[in-house]
Amino acid sequence: MQSPDAIVIGAGIVGASSALSLTNAGLKVLVIDRGAVSSGTTGAGEGNILVSDKDPGPELTLALRSRDLWFEMQDDVGDSFELEAKGGVVVARHDDGPLMKLAAEQSQHGVTAQKLNQSSLHELEPYLHPDFHSGVFYPQDAQCQPMLAAAQVIRTVIARGGAFISQAKLTRIIVENGAVAGIETTQGIFKAPIIINATGTWAGELAEMAGSHLPIAPRKGFILVTEPTKKYVFHKVYDSDYVTNVASSDADLQTSTVVEGTRSGTILIGASRERIGFDGSMNYEILRRLAAQATSLFPVLRDVQLLRAYRGFRPYAPDHLPVIGEDSKVRGLWHSAGHEGAGIGLAPGSAALITDAILGRESFMDGSAFSPHRFATVSL
Amino acid sequence: MSDYGKGEYEDREWLMIIVIGAGPAGLAAAEATSRNGSDVALIDSASRLGGQYWRHRSTVTGYRSNRADTLFSKVRGAASITYISEATVWSIEREGDLIRVNYMQGGSESSLTAEKLILATGAYDRSLPFPGWDQPGSMTPGAAQALLKGHGVLVGQRVVVAGTGPFLLPVATGLAEAGANVIGLYEAHSPMRWLLSPQALLLNVSKFAELIYYAGLIRKYRITPRFGRVVSRFDKGQVTITSVSSTLALKRNKSQTFKADVVAVGWGFSPDLTLGGIMGCKERVDVDGTTIFDVDAEQLSSQKNVWIAGEATGIGGADLSLLEGEIAGLAASGQKISSLLRFARFRKQVFSDALKRSYPVKDGWRSWAEKSTTICRCEEVSLGDIEESVVELGAEDSRTAKLFTRAGMGLCQGRICSRNVSEIVADLTNCSVTDEERIASSNRPIAAPIALGLLGDGKK
Amino acid sequence: MSKQVSFTFNGVAVQCEEGQSIAAAVINSGTLALRKTRFGDEPRSIFCGIGMCFDCVVVIDGVANQRSCLITAKANMKIESGS
Repeated sequence: MQSPDAIVIGAGIVGASSALSLTNAGLKVLVIDRGAVSSGTTGAGEGNILVSDKDPGPELTLALRSRDLWFEMQDDVGDSFELEAKGGVVVARHDDGPLMKLAAEQSQHGVTAQKLNQSSLHELEPYLHPDFHSGVFYPQDAQCQPMLAAAQVIRTVIARGGAFISQAKLTRIIVENGAVAGIETTQGIFKAPIIINATGTWAGELAEMAGSHLPIAPRKGFILVTEPTKKYVFHKVYDSDYVTNVASSDADLQTSTVVEGTRSGTILIGASRERIGFDGSMNYEILRRLAAQATSLFPVLRDVQLLRAYRGFRPYAPDHLPVIGEDSKVRGLWHSAGHEGAGIGLAPGSAALITDAILGRESFMDGSAFSPHRFATVSL
Repeated sequence: MSDYGKGEYEDREWLMIIVIGAGPAGLAAAEATSRNGSDVALIDSASRLGGQYWRHRSTVTGYRSNRADTLFSKVRGAASITYISEATVWSIEREGDLIRVNYMQGGSESSLTAEKLILATGAYDRSLPFPGWDQPGSMTPGAAQALLKGHGVLVGQRVVVAGTGPFLLPVATGLAEAGANVIGLYEAHSPMRWLLSPQALLLNVSKFAELIYYAGLIRKYRITPRFGRVVSRFDKGQVTITSVSSTLALKRNKSQTFKADVVAVGWGFSPDLTLGGIMGCKERVDVDGTTIFDVDAEQLSSQKNVWIAGEATGIGGADLSLLEGEIAGLAASGQKISSLLRFARFRKQVFSDALKRSYPVKDGWRSWAEKSTTICRCEEVSLGDIEESVVELGAEDSRTAKLFTRAGMGLCQGRICSRNVSEIVADLTNCSVTDEERIASSNRPIAAPIALGLLGDGKK
Repeated sequence: MSKQVSFTFNGVAVQCEEGQSIAAAVINSGTLALRKTRFGDEPRSIFCGIGMCFDCVVVIDGVANQRSCLITAKANMKIESGS
C-alpha cells in the first residue's frame, strides 16, 4: 500500500483502535510497527478499562465514552479478546473520607458508584481481609486481554482494506512546507498526508524526528503473576492509594495495591510507579512490597505462589493527561499517546476523538484539554 | 562438613564462595575449592548429593559409579564445605561487591551472601511433541530413571525407551536390571554417525570401555536396539514406532503398533539457564541450537565473580562437567589450574562436540505433531492454536505467539515447550529462530515459584 | 525392612517406604494419573521426574501446585489431584 489515506505508527492498542476507527470512517489505513503487534506497553498491560480511578474532568469523560466504545468494538470485531464487565471494588485502607468524596463527585458525572459497607463489601469479595469495612463498587469497570485485542483489531483493519507491516523501523518523517508527506522506513517509503503517532512511550522520539516536541517520559511498573489458582478475587480490587499515585509526579518509587483475577486462573498484582528512565532491570524489593500489600488485602494469597513478574513503561506527560490531537508545528501529524496507565481503557475513545478531528466533524466531547498545543512554547 | 551458622569466617560475615548445584560439576567445584581451605557453601534443592547424573537412594550404581562415592566422601569430609540441602534458590541479587542468594527451605525463606558464585545447575531432558506425548505413561528417560534410582520404583512393565543420545543406554539397562521388560530401545540416528568424529573417539579411548559395558548389559537383558526409528504416537497403552529419515521426517508406511505401559523418550538435554540469566551472564547459541553461557578458559562468565560449570556451558555429560567444575572451583578460590587439567577438559570438549554431531535433532520432528497435539503442556495449547495465532492473528515470533496463546506462560514457564514453540513459529513464518529470540526465551527473573506470604515477609 | 509411611491420595490410603516421593509412592501403588488438566480435564502423570515440568503437581494439605516428584511423602499427608 504505497499511498494510503493515513499511516498509523504503532501497533499497540492505541494504534490499532485508531486504525479501526479511521478504516470504519472510509479511509485506507496502513499500520506500521518496528516490531510485532503489541510489542510495546500494550504487551505489558493488565487490560484495565477503568472509570473508577479518574477524577471528574476531561479524562473521566473520555474514559466513560471509551469504555462503552470497547463494547461496541467487541460487537464490531467479535468476542475474541476476553472483554468482561467485571467491575471494580475500591477499598479504603485508612480513612474512607477521600474515597467517598471522590465517589460522590464521580456520581455527578456519569459514573455509577455504589457505596459498600462491611457486609456488602465482603459479599462482593469474601476473601478480603475482615478488617476492611468500607469501599465503593464501580460496575462499569471492565477488563480485556489487550494483546489479543490489538491483534484482532488489526486483523479487522486488514480485512476491511487496510494493511499492516511489522518490523518496519521509522528512519525519517518526510515533512514538506510544514506538513507531513510520508515516512521512510526499513521496509520502504510510504506517502500519506495524515500520520498518527501512536508509539506510546516512544512518542517523544517520533515527535523529535518530525522536528517537533512532545514531553512524554516512561513510568516503570511491575506486575506479579501468580500460579493458576482457585478463584479468590472476583473483581478488580484496589486500595484508594492507587488514585493518589496516578496523579502524583514524585520521582521516587510509589506503590499501591491492585489485585485481580484472570480468565486463565492466574492473579495479577500491581502496582508500582517509578521514574527511572528505561532501566528495565528487576527489582526484588519492589516485588516483595507488592506481595506484602496484596496479602494484606487478601490473606488467603499468602499460600499462593508467584510464578513470574514482568515490567512495562507507561508513557506519561507532565500533567498526566493523554496527548490527542494535531501537532502544534507539523500539520498532518496527529498524536494519540501518553495515556500513562490508562492506554487500554482510553484507546477507542481516543481513536474516536482523533477520527472526528481529522474528518473535521463534531465529537462526543471537547478534546482541547488533550491537545499537544498545550506543550508548545511561545516564541517571542 | 560444618553446620551452617550465620557466623563469621575469619573476620567476614559472608562466605567466600557459594556453589549452586550438587551434581558432578558442583561437587567437583566445591571439592576443588576446599583444597586451600576457602570457605564454601554448596546449595542444592535435592535431599541427597549427586544431582541428576548420580541419583541414588543409598549408593550410586552404574558405570564407574565409584567416582561418585569418592567425590561424595571428599566433600562430606571437608571442614570448609557447608552443605545446604533441600534448598531451592528463587533469586540472586548483588549487594555492593557481594552476591546474595535467596532460597526457600523447609517452608521459610533464607539467604546466603558470598563474594563469589559458581553456578552448576545442570540440565534436563529435552522433549519433542508427538500425538499422545502428554498421556500418562509417556515421560522422559530421566523420569523413568529418577523413579527407579531415586525412589526404587519401577514405572511400568512393558517399557519402550526411545529418542536419541547415549543417555538411552543407562536408562534402558537400568530398567531392565530392575525387572522391567524393555520391549524396545529405539535410537533415531545411525551409530555410523560416530565415524564423523574420529578424533573424539581417539582422544577418549575410555569411552570404548563404557560402550562395551553397556553392550554387555544389553545382551544380558536381551534388549534389541534399533536405529532410525522414533515413537510417532502413544495412545492409551499403544505405541507406534515409525522409521525416520536422517532429518527425522517420518516414513509413515514403515510403522508398527504394539502395547506398551511406558514410553520413555528423550532428545538430548536442555541446560538450566535460569540463575545465570538472573545474573545477566552473556549467552550464545551453540551449534546445535542450544542456548548456553559464554565462559572463558577458567569457566568465568561475563559477569564479575560468577563462574559457570557443567551443562550450562555446553551439553557434554558428567566427564566434562567434573572437569569444568574442578577448574571453576580452583579459579574462584585463587588456585593454580594445571595444563594437564586443561588438556583433560579439552579432550572431553572434543567428545561433547562429537555428541552434537552424532545425535543432532533435525527439523523433521515438526511433522510429527497433529493439529490437536498439545505443544504447551501446562496451558494445553495445541499445534492448531499456535498455527491460528500465526495465520489469523499475525504472530511472527514466538514471544507474540506465546502472548496470544498462553504457550509458555504456565507453571513450568516454558522450560519444556519454549524452544519447540519458537521453532514451530519460525517454520510457519518461513523464518529461522534468531539467536536473540532463543536467548530471550530463557529469561526468568523468578527462578522457582515462591509463596506470596514468604515473598512479602522478606520485605525490608 | 525400611520404615513405612502412610498418607491418602484422593481419599484412598497409600503406603510407601520412608523417603519416597509422593509421585513414586502413588505410581507404585498402581495409580498412574496424578491429576487432570484444568481446561481439558485430561489425565496427566509424571513427565520429567525432576521438578522442571510441573505436570506432576498435586494439592498437599490444601496447598496447590506442589510437585509430587520432588516432595517426600510424609505420614498423614492429605493429597489430592488439583484442577
